[in-house]
Amino acid sequence: MAVKPRESVALRGDTNYFLKKRIGYVATYVVLGIIALYTVAPLWFLVTNSLKGQAEIIRDPLGVPRAASFQYIIKATQEIHFFRSLGITFSITFVSVGLIVIISSIGAWMLVRNHTKWSQVIFMAFVAAMLIPFQAIMYPLIQFFDTLGLKNVTGLVFMYGGFGLSMSVFLYHGFVKGVPKGIEEAGIIDGCNIFQLFFTIVLPLLSSITVTVIVLNSMWIWNDYLLPFLVIGNSTTKTLVLELYFARILAGQFGNPWELIFPAVLITIIPIVIIFLFLQKYIVQGITDGAIKS
Amino acid sequence: MDFYKKWFWPLLLPSILLFGFVILFPFVVGVLNSFLAWRGTYYFDPETGIRATNLFASFIGFDNYANAFTDERFIRALVYTVQYTLVAVVVVNLVGLGLALLVTRARRGAGLFRTVFFLPNMLGGLALGFIWQFIFQIVFTDILFSPEGLMHIPFLRYMTQDSTKALFALVILNAWQYSGYMMIIYIAGLNNISRDYYEAASIDGATPLRTFRSITVPMLMPSFTVVFFLTLSNSFKLLDQNIALTDGEFNTRLLAMQILRTVKDTAPPDYGKAQAQAVIFFILVASITLTQVYVTKKRELEL
Repeated sequence: MAVKPRESVALRGDTNYFLKKRIGYVATYVVLGIIALYTVAPLWFLVTNSLKGQAEIIRDPLGVPRAASFQYIIKATQEIHFFRSLGITFSITFVSVGLIVIISSIGAWMLVRNHTKWSQVIFMAFVAAMLIPFQAIMYPLIQFFDTLGLKNVTGLVFMYGGFGLSMSVFLYHGFVKGVPKGIEEAGIIDGCNIFQLFFTIVLPLLSSITVTVIVLNSMWIWNDYLLPFLVIGNSTTKTLVLELYFARILAGQFGNPWELIFPAVLITIIPIVIIFLFLQKYIVQGITDGAIKS
Repeated sequence: MDFYKKWFWPLLLPSILLFGFVILFPFVVGVLNSFLAWRGTYYFDPETGIRATNLFASFIGFDNYANAFTDERFIRALVYTVQYTLVAVVVVNLVGLGLALLVTRARRGAGLFRTVFFLPNMLGGLALGFIWQFIFQIVFTDILFSPEGLMHIPFLRYMTQDSTKALFALVILNAWQYSGYMMIIYIAGLNNISRDYYEAASIDGATPLRTFRSITVPMLMPSFTVVFFLTLSNSFKLLDQNIALTDGEFNTRLLAMQILRTVKDTAPPDYGKAQAQAVIFFILVASITLTQVYVTKKRELEL
């Protein structure tokens, strides 16, 4: 019988090797299982408690709902104007991320293809800007956009565009270097104009890093609280997170109305959970690439 | 090549404009405003006691900074943020690495575990903060750790109503949320280590601990750099969870919230002071993350 070299060596010193290995293997699963339960538990509370009334939530928060009712979820849907705010959040995220992808990829491409003093200065400025925390900019930014008449959803999209730019240019910059120039030259000889060249030849070759840029930017823009709070505030164009925040503030003046909070939280996270389950592979890939290659 | 040259400025213009309008200009204005008696919508002239007619009349030197450093709330937020960051970075890293080691050991079902551990990252800090507020206030306090509960642990009760306990509550929440993200990065790092090293160690009769210390840790240095960077800057800038869990009550404000709430604490809103705090915050974040990247990069090279 062919024994793998590693195991044969171990066998000589320890006859219980396989048994030990087996126990170790089982122990791994037990620990993983416990941590997985711990990870899922809060989400389980969230789902079950969204189907209970206030009294039952307080009395028996861990149990299965005795008479499950969707009335709380329906009420929360109205309370946070679910479909309106979902639409707003989706539009903001979609347009901002689209803006970031196009502007930063084409910008990074130009920075790599023209190696001049200016291109280095501009690239360094983008990299250095990644160190600036949002708090250092927010007050002058809001003030400035207010005077431009852009303290609204449109302005918000531009702000996200600006904030996402630094990191995205940085990521694209690293990847454009890997695109062989010969391919582009062939395109130029065939008579491509600059946009045909970029969108039909260069951008498709950058698709793996585009996934990273989309994932990283969408994740924070979708869930962002502070910027919409400062820009939109308590107006009628609130995002999902803002609706949740104001619902909590408004209702929370008289204790904690968990029968509203739980279903409201639940419906705000359902879209993102669905997206995650479908696009998991790309999301994990995007994060791994972003972390390793930067 | 000439072809690219003529398109350099036109195609870079959108990036430069966006960058200038959203980042550069507000940043410069922000630094300048931290030296002025800025009230948000107007500039105050401390000598006449009314609106300043020009910016020079509103210049107050380092007064905003002096104000910030004598403000008990700012100092407390600063100390609290440093304490929180120290604990959170250690815990999130250890848990993330532990999860990565466990998941890479599992052969079947690894994908499922990875999905489960990563899931909390997709959700917003505010939404999760509300769920955990409930867990700390009701589940921990009244059920699990009450005198009649599973185990009587007073420290785990009323965690959102005491500044020390709330710090650990925040750590628990963030470890729960971010460990999965760090796990993903560590898994990628672990998968990059060649099997050969482990086989060689096994032939030499190395113990698992020794193997971990002499092979896994050094080979994981690049992942450590990234994870430390992410956890450090995330912890330092934490806001949503802080708002959702305690809203800064019981002296639990972190710096990000302190800067946000300064304009509410003062009447009329003292934007100059808030901005000075923000500039201090910037200097802290930038110097800490730069030092960290420098130090871990250096260690990476040494190993």
